[in-house]
Amino acid sequence: MNYYEKPTMQQEQAAAETKTVFAKHLGQFKEACDVLRDIESNLSAIANDALKAALLSPGRVIQTDDGAEWRHDVDLSKITSICHRRTATGMEFAVVECLPLKNGEMKDVLNSGHNLREVLQEFMRDQRQVLNLWKTDVTAGIREHLDEKFPGQNMDVVVESFEYKLSRAISETRAIAQSQSRGIRI
Amino acid sequence: MVIDNETIQTATPPPVERLAYSIQEAADLLGIHYYTMYRLIQRQKLKTCRVLRGKLLVPREELLKLLKTDLR
Repeated sequence: MNYYEKPTMQQEQAAAETKTVFAKHLGQFKEACDVLRDIESNLSAIANDALKAALLSPGRVIQTDDGAEWRHDVDLSKITSICHRRTATGMEFAVVECLPLKNGEMKDVLNSGHNLREVLQEFMRDQRQVLNLWKTDVTAGIREHLDEKFPGQNMDVVVESFEYKLSRAISETRAIAQSQSRGIRI
Repeated sequence: MVIDNETIQTATPPPVERLAYSIQEAADLLGIHYYTMYRLIQRQKLKTCRVLRGKLLVPREELLKLLKTDLR
């Protein structure tokens, strides 16, 4: 595809229409990227707060679905939090998700380990994978929608522009985290 | 006007049960954020299938299985 080619009026119209149809997806994707970016940019502070909480306060007990008991330290998002428990080999940390479903709450350990920084980095890697899975699915949905709405028309430029925006949103969260870790301000 | 049973049956065909749902539909049915849906898929808590163009579909059975899970 030639990125420098000006989109046709029909392609522009298709892009505007797609934006409306997929508004909820795109809005929630942006929200998720914002949450992830906030966590990434404050990773050191979050890790310090969690460590302090683990050492100084007992924290409320969270029993995960595997039967393990964890102590709550700090919240990462509305449904994820950093927890700890004391084991024979020292303090163990976990990112626990408490997911409210219509029939109750699913409490699941997402990542765990003895090194809190590594646990959080692994969590971030997993979340980026989730965003990539989401991006692939939305792009496929957009392609399907355009194929049905504009049969026989070449809408590659529209699909690729959405894909590019989603990819950029994912990579920007990482760029901010990396630049901040090197003390560079964007 | 007299409407007999046969007429009523013809007018309202039985609803067709869906075999699978898009992520958007499944998230709305479960009442959860789309992000959460993809997280469940990534962690293999929810199995999906890919259809034409790579779009993900959640089989109805998988949604029912998730809701039947004995949650604490």
